[in-house]
Amino acid sequence: MNMAVETIKLTKRYGSKIVIDNLDLSIEEGKVTGLLGPNGAGKSTLLKAIVGLVKPDSGSISIFGQKPSIKLNSEIAYLPDRAGWYQFHTVKTALGYAKSVFPGFDEPKSEELLKQMKLDVDMKVETLSKGQQACLQLIFCLARNVRLCILDEPFSGIDLISRERIIQGIIESIMDGSRTIIISTHEIYESESLFEKVVFLEEVHIKLAGDAEELRRQGDSLENVYRRLYR
Amino acid sequence: MAEYEIGSFKIELDLTKPLYEQVLDQIRHAIARGEVELGSKIPSVRELALQLKINPNTVMRAYQELERDKLCETRRGQGTFITTSEEKVMEIKKSLAKDALNVFVSSMKDLGMDRSSAQKLLEEVEWE
Repeated sequence: MNMAVETIKLTKRYGSKIVIDNLDLSIEEGKVTGLLGPNGAGKSTLLKAIVGLVKPDSGSISIFGQKPSIKLNSEIAYLPDRAGWYQFHTVKTALGYAKSVFPGFDEPKSEELLKQMKLDVDMKVETLSKGQQACLQLIFCLARNVRLCILDEPFSGIDLISRERIIQGIIESIMDGSRTIIISTHEIYESESLFEKVVFLEEVHIKLAGDAEELRRQGDSLENVYRRLYR
Repeated sequence: MAEYEIGSFKIELDLTKPLYEQVLDQIRHAIARGEVELGSKIPSVRELALQLKINPNTVMRAYQELERDKLCETRRGQGTFITTSEEKVMEIKKSLAKDALNVFVSSMKDLGMDRSSAQKLLEEVEWE
């Protein structure tokens, strides 16, 4: 079993506040992993550490056995929790731009995803709804042939229909073989059926990590497990 | 609990149970009950995953098990098809009936019934 991400005693502080404390975590390659936990549990910080946007204070993090680096980032598609895009672009020009800047951008795949998410290529980015913008952002990630895809809160603040389209886009992107995707989310009910692995983070620690189907076998949905863990 | 209809299939998913087992079970039952025509094509992995909003690997796992049991067959480039063998269908029907009987037996035992009183009840029970 190969690991996409492995942390050993990873610790990160912002000033005097510890956001990640001695975290030992492994995320398996080729699986969809849900990263769950309340606000402030360190989910975004962990994801940022994977792409080197956050430097650990101590401990280590490795991605496919290597330290985070700019070179390694060409193998990672990262959807930050807040992302902006050129408003004056049309969807088509935005995608053209994505193709020129993102390594591994797969045009036919992006077209497939556009269809799946029902986005019109001639629309201006500024006229897209928040949900449509989120779908476009997601295409920038999912249409890339990369080893690791990180989606930080892809559903947050987005309408139901767009959330469903995002889920279908993720499914579509897994169709041509196993991919390593890490999704952090609070929308557990809607996304849990995608997860093969799940990690419940609590403030600074792991509360529970395991195989999604095994957890269901114990008679609980992931959403219920979450309630039990954090109530 | 969510319900989905895909072609001749009706699949209900409950998030508190392993998803692949539910897909597998419900297709097995549909075949045993004769709800799907022998030799007919079943939804592709992609189609079923998108409709049910589940991981395609989950669907794949269920389909692989159906293939192992020879209830389905995947033809390269054409899709996955239900077996044409009546024999296989009988086999799965018997095996599902056996499972149901085991449940019956254990609930009878639970009630403190022995074999002969349970059999007597079975003979008296109305089938219609």
